[in-house]
Amino acid sequence: MPTLTIDNRPVTVPDGTKVITAAEQLGIMIPRFCYHPALGSVGACRVCAVGFKEGPIKGVEMSCMVDAQEGMVVATDDPDAVDLRKHVIELLMLHHPHDCPVCDEGGHCLLQDMTISGGHGRRRYAGAKRTHLDQDLGPLVQHEMNRCIQCYRCSRFYQQFCGYRDLGVTGIGTRVYFGRSEPGTLESPFSGNLTDICPTGVYTDKPSRFYGRRWDYERAPSVCIHCSLGCSLTVSARYRKAVRHEARFNAQVNGHFICDRGRYAYAYASQPERPRDALIAGRPATLAQAATQMSERLAAIEKGTGPDGIALMGSARSSLETQALLARLHSEKGWRTPCFSADDAATRVVSSALNTLNATNTIALTEIEGADTVLLVGADPIGEAPMLALALRQAQRDGSRIITVDPRPVTLPCAHDHIAVSGDDLATAVAHLIIGALEPSREIALDADQQDRFKTLKQETRDIPAAAELRAIGHALTTAWRPAFVCGTTVPDPDVPPLMGLLQALVQTSCMWSGLFFPLPGANTFGAHCLGGSDALFEPLLAAVEAGQVKALVVVENDLFSEYPDQQRLAAALESLELLVVMDCVPSAITARADIFLPTQTIYEAGGHYLNNEGRLQVATPVIAGGLSIMDTGGGNHPPREFREDIPGGTPRPAWQYVAGLATGETDPPDVKPLLDEALTAGVADGERVSLPSASREWPSIERIGAGPEGDAGGLTLIESAATFGSEPLAAFSTVLAELTPLFGVTVHSETAQRLGWRAGDRIVIPDSAPALEVVVTLDDRAAPGVLLVPRRIGIDRTALRRYMAHLLAE
Amino acid sequence: MTQDPSQLKGKSLPPPRETSGAEALKALVTGFATTLKHLGRRPITEQYPEEKRELPARSRARIILTRDPDGAERCVACYLCSAVCPVSCISMQSIEGQGGRRMAAWFRINFGRCIYCGLCEEACPTSAIQLTPDYEHCQRAILKSVYEKEDLLVDHCGKDPDYNFYRHAGVATEGLDKGRHEKEAPPVNVRSNMP
Repeated sequence: MPTLTIDNRPVTVPDGTKVITAAEQLGIMIPRFCYHPALGSVGACRVCAVGFKEGPIKGVEMSCMVDAQEGMVVATDDPDAVDLRKHVIELLMLHHPHDCPVCDEGGHCLLQDMTISGGHGRRRYAGAKRTHLDQDLGPLVQHEMNRCIQCYRCSRFYQQFCGYRDLGVTGIGTRVYFGRSEPGTLESPFSGNLTDICPTGVYTDKPSRFYGRRWDYERAPSVCIHCSLGCSLTVSARYRKAVRHEARFNAQVNGHFICDRGRYAYAYASQPERPRDALIAGRPATLAQAATQMSERLAAIEKGTGPDGIALMGSARSSLETQALLARLHSEKGWRTPCFSADDAATRVVSSALNTLNATNTIALTEIEGADTVLLVGADPIGEAPMLALALRQAQRDGSRIITVDPRPVTLPCAHDHIAVSGDDLATAVAHLIIGALEPSREIALDADQQDRFKTLKQETRDIPAAAELRAIGHALTTAWRPAFVCGTTVPDPDVPPLMGLLQALVQTSCMWSGLFFPLPGANTFGAHCLGGSDALFEPLLAAVEAGQVKALVVVENDLFSEYPDQQRLAAALESLELLVVMDCVPSAITARADIFLPTQTIYEAGGHYLNNEGRLQVATPVIAGGLSIMDTGGGNHPPREFREDIPGGTPRPAWQYVAGLATGETDPPDVKPLLDEALTAGVADGERVSLPSASREWPSIERIGAGPEGDAGGLTLIESAATFGSEPLAAFSTVLAELTPLFGVTVHSETAQRLGWRAGDRIVIPDSAPALEVVVTLDDRAAPGVLLVPRRIGIDRTALRRYMAHLLAE
Repeated sequence: MTQDPSQLKGKSLPPPRETSGAEALKALVTGFATTLKHLGRRPITEQYPEEKRELPARSRARIILTRDPDGAERCVACYLCSAVCPVSCISMQSIEGQGGRRMAAWFRINFGRCIYCGLCEEACPTSAIQLTPDYEHCQRAILKSVYEKEDLLVDHCGKDPDYNFYRHAGVATEGLDKGRHEKEAPPVNVRSNMP
């Protein structure tokens, strides 16, 4: 822990800290271009020069390249260093174009700031400027190479940090060029971060191109709700329209970066089709009329059928406020327990996964970066939770071994061992891992009871093709120092998470550190689970609707049609309801069927609390008050010259307000924070993990491991799983992300394709699908044989697809 | 500053001084002499609005948006004028116009608020926004003081007859590709091995 003096102020920092970081701890921002805390130092830009006055090093040195040492005396205002910086900036500005007025970086440009603070005002060099041709890098990132100052941040981020190879550097001297070998869409799902890390305007945000300046934006800290990781965002909005998401540093969750799905998902909030008025039977009504009619009709139904006649449907994308008030509505009125997902299979896995988590085995996303072995079972990070893939990449860069056990051909931006295991065999696969961990090694001691249970486990476990390989990996896990265990919650069956928990608990006895990590299906699935959402399943609810026991259904921010597979059955059931109340902020198949529709606010307007996949309570601050964007009210021209008291299109209220109105019968809802505190987050501060139960060393029940796959006549199974783009209900409204969404396709092993008579590139037209659905066949031998893999996609005819696939499976 | 009344208590004002007859006469003569002197002079007052004075070109009144020598709009909607405006009377929205040019979708100046300080003109990097000597634009209806882009746009260059931002900017626009701006070398061939 050396102590050094920077600008006459002492500071003590850990060994290996660079002087530039030590200065940051004192609040001194030494100029930098190439240095970035996540990318490290390369000493390329020469702008962080400081004067070393006393101590082991003397003279002008680059503060990003020198480790802080005992007794150093550093002066950032050393005349020689100041002069050097001034000249370096002048050199960097030599070829920089004169285009700040039309550059989107202007206003938050590091180069602009440094040029001004470095005192460089006038260009002395009268020669011609070097120019570069730009490339079309796809719909997300705009390229303008003239502005480049050769800091190498982009290529270091793209290749070293993210592990993608299609953007890099070429050329020498002044001709150094950063781009792709051919123009084309960037392959990395993290490419949007280029716009954040570029210190000048070479890479700028294309969807918000020319929209505004940083100083005009209304900005607020928020949380990403487009997967369960809950990355920290800064949302920028202007003229009542959210126009940009940027990564906000969070040491526990996302670090410095976010994925492109989270970055470009905001379009749903300002889409022209967004429902902004209350509707009664499809006709516009005032909010008060709709709310009154809702309360009256619900009261009438309650009188006729009793409280059991009314069912509540929440959602995993709602804030905790909405979820908590739905739970309170149930407890106060005695209506049916709210159900938060129409996908019962996922709810069961989520329930068993979150019951496996405890206070000692839960880990944060950034902790995975420090693991030396990461085992992923039934998890496809790039599709389900992209930032997890980036964390795995960091672990792999530090020498970690990554193992994926999955029926899908999991691709990661880093080297990894893939073991293809069919979906029904995942539990067996984990059992083999456990056997491998316990069998030949004597490192993990078991008591008599555990010995017995292990014996049963061994007898029950079937043999599968990859058994030997899995046992070897299981054994290797016992020699790891810091193993992390990741388990998906959509593809595996409910037995897998507890077995993973068991494996983790066993391995923990022989290592320094280990932990469990479960990516969940929705942004606030953890919240729903905490509020009892895992107890209420959708299937019984639907059956009750069909049987006429449930007369009214209140659906809050959930498009059941995108979650429930049998769309025809769902439509018929909803048709039989006496009253269907829908509250949502986006148009969907269910909003069109609502008897009473209430428009809700988005996260940008309402804010809210969210629990991420490890139970961390995070807050989204409202950014805008709501209403139609000025660009919409003016039709693209200047704002209308009329004065009114309300905001046009500002009718929507937060969903929880409507629910609170039903619970208390008042129109002015109470503050929900105390309610939340009492419900689940007592004593937990924002940004902290909710209290989880303490660890138990009980072995989970293992009855089903030996049961083997069921219902797979012909050995074919259909797996529908999340893809990076097109699967998340809100992000699916983004037109720029729609451009990146690949054609809808089915991925199969070549053996399976041969059996089915399919060839790569075949287009299968699904019969009787509306809208017409075409499926492209892709072959991948890394997939488990017998698995038909399709991405979850919003807006496709899933009934027809399932019917066709079922017909295939039956044959 | 107000004096504490308690401090004045008990003090009386000094008695007024007596004026002598000579002094009174002197004051009277001086006064009348001044009047007589001005009787023979031309009046300084200008009879506005009958007489209108030609103001210097640089005087600051009604704001205009000028065009470049090629006749295109100069304003690139960079938001610098609206940022610098001390009374926030300028608002606009930038969009991508034809040929990749950045331009204002709408541009509004509220002259009811404008204090004619000229900071917007000073901040403008393209010489688009300029103050003119035309000071006669009072309105009875307040909304008529709100000028939109079509009210502000003129078809001349204003005080800067030469400058065209896009000839210097270095960004590729329709008809002016990379390397063809002033003081620019042709684009680098990144595939060449020559040093």
